[in-house]
Amino acid sequence: MSHELDLPPSLQAEVETARRHVSLSPELEARVMAAVRRRAASPQQRAWRWLTAPSLPPWALLAAAATALLAFVLLRPASVGSPGVASPLATAVGPESIYVRFILVAPNAREVALAGTFNGWDPTAAPLARADAAGTWTVTVALPVGQHQYAFVVDGRRWVPDPAAPAVDDGFGRKNSVVSVSAAQGRIL
Amino acid sequence: MNRPAAWLVLAMALGPELAAQDDVTARLAGRVPPAIAAAVSALADSARARGLPVAPLVDKALEGVVKGVPADRILPAVRTVLDQLDAAATALRGTGGTPPSDDAVEAGGFALAAGLTPGDLGAIAQSADRSHPTAVALQVAGALAAIGVPRAQTVGLVQASIQSGGPVGDLVSLPGQVQAAMARGAPPAAAAAGLERAAAAHQAPRPHGQGKGKGNPHRP
Repeated sequence: MSHELDLPPSLQAEVETARRHVSLSPELEARVMAAVRRRAASPQQRAWRWLTAPSLPPWALLAAAATALLAFVLLRPASVGSPGVASPLATAVGPESIYVRFILVAPNAREVALAGTFNGWDPTAAPLARADAAGTWTVTVALPVGQHQYAFVVDGRRWVPDPAAPAVDDGFGRKNSVVSVSAAQGRIL
Repeated sequence: MNRPAAWLVLAMALGPELAAQDDVTARLAGRVPPAIAAAVSALADSARARGLPVAPLVDKALEGVVKGVPADRILPAVRTVLDQLDAAATALRGTGGTPPSDDAVEAGGFALAAGLTPGDLGAIAQSADRSHPTAVALQVAGALAAIGVPRAQTVGLVQASIQSGGPVGDLVSLPGQVQAAMARGAPPAAAAAGLERAAAAHQAPRPHGQGKGKGNPHRP
């Protein structure tokens, strides 16, 4: 059924007129389409417009940025901090690191430090303290779970591997000591 | 997806890559001569492109500088580390299953440096399971090799410890036990042989399908 049957005759004529197919001349159609193509953006331009056109209020962007910052702060790996408790060997700090005590007997040393992959080989980051008159030097550091290479730095210039730990060639003609930290058991190799 | 969200997604996609590059640059800046820093950054890019961890490369460069090693000897050492990581990753990927973790690749590189072969790494990785992750097994194997246990015995001892079904602490304690025996005068090989016999004697029967070589779905 069609509603056109209900239209008054004057409107029926208008409808018939509007329905008639209008043909454009080929020249006019070509000019129109050329203009449309000129105005159409390239894919890159369309992508840029799509990305840059605002569709969220500024506060929403600020909220998103704040959320991202908060997530970064909360989810980043825990950094190695200074130990609060010393342990004879190793103590679980948390699921990601444990405290490990390093010992070197060096009676004639004036100063001893611990440098390794866990502190960027910085010879000033972990100085050992002299524990007794016999020349026992110790330091306790929190190490992330995993495997680390290290050496003692005696008097700021002499690199000494840990006699109590496995050692591997350091690639420079010396030896590095190796410590592996297992969080599941709070143990070291 | 709205448009600002697309920006955030783009930033999140590129962020880790850029952050990784920044991390290498930041760790080297001011501590390593610029020429070495540039070369190490290029090697780090190469490592990253191959899916290898980059931290060991930066560590080796820093170590060389701090130890006062001449610049012309630092880069070869960094390249050696890269080659070891590459060889370890290739050996571990060859065992099938999920791609190896960075920890496993690093541990594999260390084990190679300690004297094991890529074939040894593959054999150990095949034995590892969820309770005895590949990274830990390779760290233990590297430590055993580093204290003088022969290759074949290192592999056999690690495999026997895993197959005994004991806790991972038993596996982790092996180098300490070998060192204790050595302190009592036992050669490394003899100490390892005794521990392997003890582990084999306590081997628990494994359920069918357990173990990577048998298609363990819980491969770390």
